[in-house]
Amino acid sequence: MTRPARRARPATRLTSGALPWLLPALLMLGMFYLYPIAEALRLAFTDARLFDQSTSFSLASIAGVAGSATLGTILRNTLVYTVASVLGQLALGLFIALLVVRAERARLRGTLVLRTIVLAAWVIPAIANGIIWQLLLSEAPFGAINSALRLIGVSPVAWLSDPANAMTSAVIATIWQGTAYSMILLYAALKSIDPVLYEAAAIDDATAMERFWFITLPHMRPALLVNAILIKIMTLNMFDTILSLTGGGPGRATEVLSLFAYNTVFQSFELGRGAALAMLLLLISLLLTAALILLLPRGRR
Amino acid sequence: MTLARTSLVLALLATAAPAVVHAQDLITRNRVGPADAENALTFRLTAFDLYSADQATAEAFEKMFTDFILANPGWRIDTQLQTGAIAQEQARIIEQTRAGRGPDCAMIDSSQLATFKEAGLLAPMTPFFSQEEIDDLFPFVRDGVTDENGDIVALWWFTDLRVLYRDKSLVPDAPQIWSELQDAALAAVEQGREGVLFNAGRDEASAFDWLAHFWAQGGELVDEEGRPVFFEDENREKFLTAVQFYADLVESGAAPRRVTALSSYDDLLASAAAGSTGMFIGGNWMYGQIQNTMPPEQAANWAVSELPGPTEDARATGTGGWTIAALTDDPAKVEICAGIARLYAGPGNAFQRLLPTSASLYEAYEEFAGPEFEVFAGALQNGRARPGVPIYPEISSQIQILLGNVLSGAATPEAALDAAAAEVMAAFERL
Repeated sequence: MTRPARRARPATRLTSGALPWLLPALLMLGMFYLYPIAEALRLAFTDARLFDQSTSFSLASIAGVAGSATLGTILRNTLVYTVASVLGQLALGLFIALLVVRAERARLRGTLVLRTIVLAAWVIPAIANGIIWQLLLSEAPFGAINSALRLIGVSPVAWLSDPANAMTSAVIATIWQGTAYSMILLYAALKSIDPVLYEAAAIDDATAMERFWFITLPHMRPALLVNAILIKIMTLNMFDTILSLTGGGPGRATEVLSLFAYNTVFQSFELGRGAALAMLLLLISLLLTAALILLLPRGRR
Repeated sequence: MTLARTSLVLALLATAAPAVVHAQDLITRNRVGPADAENALTFRLTAFDLYSADQATAEAFEKMFTDFILANPGWRIDTQLQTGAIAQEQARIIEQTRAGRGPDCAMIDSSQLATFKEAGLLAPMTPFFSQEEIDDLFPFVRDGVTDENGDIVALWWFTDLRVLYRDKSLVPDAPQIWSELQDAALAAVEQGREGVLFNAGRDEASAFDWLAHFWAQGGELVDEEGRPVFFEDENREKFLTAVQFYADLVESGAAPRRVTALSSYDDLLASAAAGSTGMFIGGNWMYGQIQNTMPPEQAANWAVSELPGPTEDARATGTGGWTIAALTDDPAKVEICAGIARLYAGPGNAFQRLLPTSASLYEAYEEFAGPEFEVFAGALQNGRARPGVPIYPEISSQIQILLGNVLSGAATPEAALDAAAAEVMAAFERL
């Protein structure tokens, strides 16, 4: 008596391994994300120039970037710009999200309009955002914001020509655009907090600040950290708003790492150094992301 | 009689219709000439002429191109538009040409021509221009388009230059020297205007506009071998003097400190149109913009003059513009490309009232008969093109940073120059 040959069931075969299912996604990610990173990494180890075909492998680009007298200024600018922009987007996004949720609970009209208005800033291309703020912050006698300040008796501000103010202006323009994204994420997180907690707090006569501090913030912590990671990545990579707003000036007052890398490739045509700077940007981004992930509750990592 | 006349009109329309349709078919958004032409040439152009947003300009160039393609039967020009991001577009042309996917013929910004020559991508066009045409080019233009073998590798089809614009109601007489400019600007400030505006933000325009003041003293950016020398010996003094000239304008209040945030000629034009500035340093092409954008009585107040110098005899102005060059080895295509370049240099320039680079063209077209062209022609005598060396983009970049730092008070001229020199020499060593 022979045993009939076992026939594998089609369903079992298909689910026997995850690889076939992941392969298309892996291929796409590899082609469009990993390959460019690998190529940039390769270029960082060369002395490649945009218009020069004779390229050799060397550590000159990396050593040159590391030893550059300018790098300190650029990293300081990047730190100030990123920290201020991320904190601003988080704080303002949270404020607007709280406002919208509170208004919805009170059944006030206009919350949808408010969310739409905030979102409108998000859909504007970054380069256009820079141009819009350049017009608003213009120090010409007809500049919009300075004209408004004059009307209320305040002296005009050197928004873009003063090195310290120029960085503030770049941060304002970035916060204005990025707040919408932050607001969407935090609004969703706020909506997921069980209303029973607030009802219980109300019974205990908790003040608004106590409710925010002991209920809202602890429940928002994962969302705030994930939001911070995403905003941080977007802000670190942001150069187009600054490019059209100040061009990195006056001097190098607003030149951040991403803009410095762009200028190195497209103004100085130094592809190897530009790739080395891009790798530095990637490294900083990965380290900051890792640090923020460590702050997440264990179950959410 | 009426019937006969109607029949005649219909007959004429019937005859003309195919021609009209045919002419329309000859120009599309990506082609000039019949789609089934035997030969094709790819031409990468900017969006200011054939595909201009200004209908009159587009129509004028459509006619020129139609005439051109009818005069070259069997050819089709496949057009490719460049965006306004000049540096990236020019870099793209080089990369694509190296990969064998570049255009056969392209508009190249004169500031980038040295990079193309250095890359060895430009085909000689000398056989397609007569010696008379070559001799007629302005000397700085001829030098710029000639390669190391003595071949003409591009036609610099128009040039531009920097001049001083002034509101005659405030500044009746053109300042001839720097101190006169400062005095006139301060007088304008007393009248409630900004005295004089100029670009000093992070843009090539800022560096190039300022370089006129360095060149006016006889300063040199690089030596004959292309090595940067602007920070050495006499050049250093001249460089610092030119920087101090700008710094004095700002510190005296003759120019507002906001010049460090100006990096576009459009900003200067906006201030002129708003009547908020007495003078500004701009490009020659802005004369037409002033005439077209301001009410006639306001435009009539604006006059143009040569940039002031440290002395009346020491003048200079930066000259830029665009070239057309061939990037193919096919002689037939190079010839067509040279024909296109000639089209732009002659009737194209005349229509747009840009500045031709040949003396004879100023005589050939009545469009260049205005009094402003006398000023431009005079200033062109002191024209200086960007040095055709690969280190120029880095020098420009460092001058932009230097101007921002000095005029915003973040650095002294000396310290800023030392920093710029160190960066430029480090970049030069890497070339």
